[in-house]
Amino acid sequence: MAGSGTAHLRGHDEMVLRVENLVMEFPAGHHQVVHAVSDVSFDIRRGETLGIVGESGCGKSTTARAIVQLPPPTSGRVVLDPGTDRETELTALVGEDLRQVRPRLQMIFQDPISSLNPRRRVRDIVGEGLHIWAEESDDERIRARVDEVLEAVGIDPTVAANRRPHEFSGGQCQRISIARAVVLEPEILICDEPVSALDVSVQAQILNLLEEMKLRYGLTLVFIGHDLSVVRNVSDRVIVMYLGKVCEVGGADALYSAPAHPYTRVLLASAPEPASTVDGSEAAIGDEIPSPMDPPSGCRFRTRCPRADDRCTTEEPILRTLDDDHFVACHYPTAAGPSGA
Amino acid sequence: MAGALLTVQDLRVGFLTEQGLVRAVEGVSFDLEPGQTLGVVGESGSGKSVTAKALMNLLPSYAQVGGTVDFDGRDMFAMAASREKHFWGVEMTMVFQDPMTSLNPVKKVGEQIAESLRVHLGRSRRDALAEAGDLLEQVGIPEPGARLTQYPHELSGGLRQRVVIAMALACGPRLLIADEPTTALDVTVQKHILDLLDDLRRARGMAMILITHDLGVVKGRADEVMVMYAGHTMEEAPTTTLFAEMRHPYTEALLETIPRIDTPSHTRLVPIPGRPPEVIEVLDGCPFAPRCRYSIARCLTNQPDLTSHGAGHLCACHAPVGTPSGTQARSANESAGTTATGLDMDQFTRNVPVADPGQSGAEG
Repeated sequence: MAGSGTAHLRGHDEMVLRVENLVMEFPAGHHQVVHAVSDVSFDIRRGETLGIVGESGCGKSTTARAIVQLPPPTSGRVVLDPGTDRETELTALVGEDLRQVRPRLQMIFQDPISSLNPRRRVRDIVGEGLHIWAEESDDERIRARVDEVLEAVGIDPTVAANRRPHEFSGGQCQRISIARAVVLEPEILICDEPVSALDVSVQAQILNLLEEMKLRYGLTLVFIGHDLSVVRNVSDRVIVMYLGKVCEVGGADALYSAPAHPYTRVLLASAPEPASTVDGSEAAIGDEIPSPMDPPSGCRFRTRCPRADDRCTTEEPILRTLDDDHFVACHYPTAAGPSGA
Repeated sequence: MAGALLTVQDLRVGFLTEQGLVRAVEGVSFDLEPGQTLGVVGESGSGKSVTAKALMNLLPSYAQVGGTVDFDGRDMFAMAASREKHFWGVEMTMVFQDPMTSLNPVKKVGEQIAESLRVHLGRSRRDALAEAGDLLEQVGIPEPGARLTQYPHELSGGLRQRVVIAMALACGPRLLIADEPTTALDVTVQKHILDLLDDLRRARGMAMILITHDLGVVKGRADEVMVMYAGHTMEEAPTTTLFAEMRHPYTEALLETIPRIDTPSHTRLVPIPGRPPEVIEVLDGCPFAPRCRYSIARCLTNQPDLTSHGAGHLCACHAPVGTPSGTQARSANESAGTTATGLDMDQFTRNVPVADPGQSGAEG
């Protein structure tokens, strides 16, 4: 699992975001370091949905936050509009310059209720960004814009705009969060487990709404999730992460129908209703995820991997091409592909 | 039913709150035979966890409880509190969602398991600890001897849940109630815990009630499934029957609304409009009617009773899926464009969704 490597990057054509060699480390005291994300690269095409899937501690949320520089990564580059004359390197910006770029990236979070200020009214929550960024105070226009976006997410502004978050259900709060994110017309919307806290009967409403918003506002989505079925449903391209590294990258349908990395196969076999492309017995691996403070040498998945051998201990597998737009970081992937090492 | 280990009849639980009486469970009945698994499926607020607590008689004293729970000929609600203590763990036991809150953070794992052996079975300290080691081995914990002297925070989430299971099984209970035992765990660990519960149940001939919000979890694991919504049993059937011939529109909607791992990306999901009801108001009709594609006029005024749809298959619906009345109700709603409760039928079929300000009030 290796994650290092850039074979899966796709040139600059129509790319809206490029992340190169992202490293995120946090001090853990006693001179120890948490290696949350280690050398992860990916790019996103304009209008695409990139799914990032993995278990807790794999670094998927940290990666998402590092994109918006909250906090800035330890090392690596995050570039908007790579290869164009609008190219902006977020990781090189500080202070006011970074602030000026922020409206182009917005986030929605897992817990819809705690991500809204309980003391403010829905109109003020959704309109805050507009008030901050308005050239001059134009209350009428902002009001109309807030109403329009609330309607777009399925909230009736005449009823809801003057209420506070506690008067809404979790699903409605998530709609309000989406309204707050899209009101500034961002280019990229980062969704960090947006449906994990919702009831199953409400989940589909929000997933459908995200698709709808994507079309309506021309958004590019980064969708972080742990539910493999949900991630496949919304994504064009999927990255599987484990312990701060990328295991496998590919088009959603290609990756799910021909999973090559042993960890991807374990995930697919562990789902309550396992995928038809793997055998249920492939879920039989150890439960213990190694500490990110002391990740295994070589391939980080080797301690739980049924195929690991000495080579996996000493040599870190680098992402390599398996197929058209399907990349894997493993010495012994399942599908027949060109031997990369 | 003769030979049933657990018989629940017309269980009702209400909580008096400032807003009014919350009817958390409304007339739930079922039987559980020794060695069988019952899956209870429902969303938050469906009453599934309250049902579990009522069975154990663990509800707070202000809960208004009605109906009867009979465990092997003993009336649970009539049992004296002093006897209850010797009943929990020995006859009937429970595993909760979050393993960290079920364990005492300042006591060693081994002592926590040994405690119930000493209290209930009168084992000596040394015997109890030795037995605790055996139990850890049975639940698949590597190096059980070393784990005995560890504290819960030293273990991963999956290991903690295994410890909780070891504690639950220590005194050889005849019924295990598992309330969302894997919801807090990662997928790879989830499958291992569910398989472990299944293996232990089989090996010990124990009965199990598996409570979950995920229909996929009960598929292939439970003998029977009960689907709950707003405190009511909507449908109950042997598991294979339920998945093959579901009768209740809510069961059907749940299955259709969840993305499948094998369906291509960007497949539009069939939404369930609205959200689960507050269980405060007394409903005349079916609690699911406002969100149901099949609803007819009668659904608004008469609460449907559970009726039989074949061997062991019960469903509470006026227009069940796959029956003439259900097919007729749905096609009538489709041609009218709306249901008896005024639900826009269009949203179930349209491909490219368009924002509709007209129905902005209803949703989750």
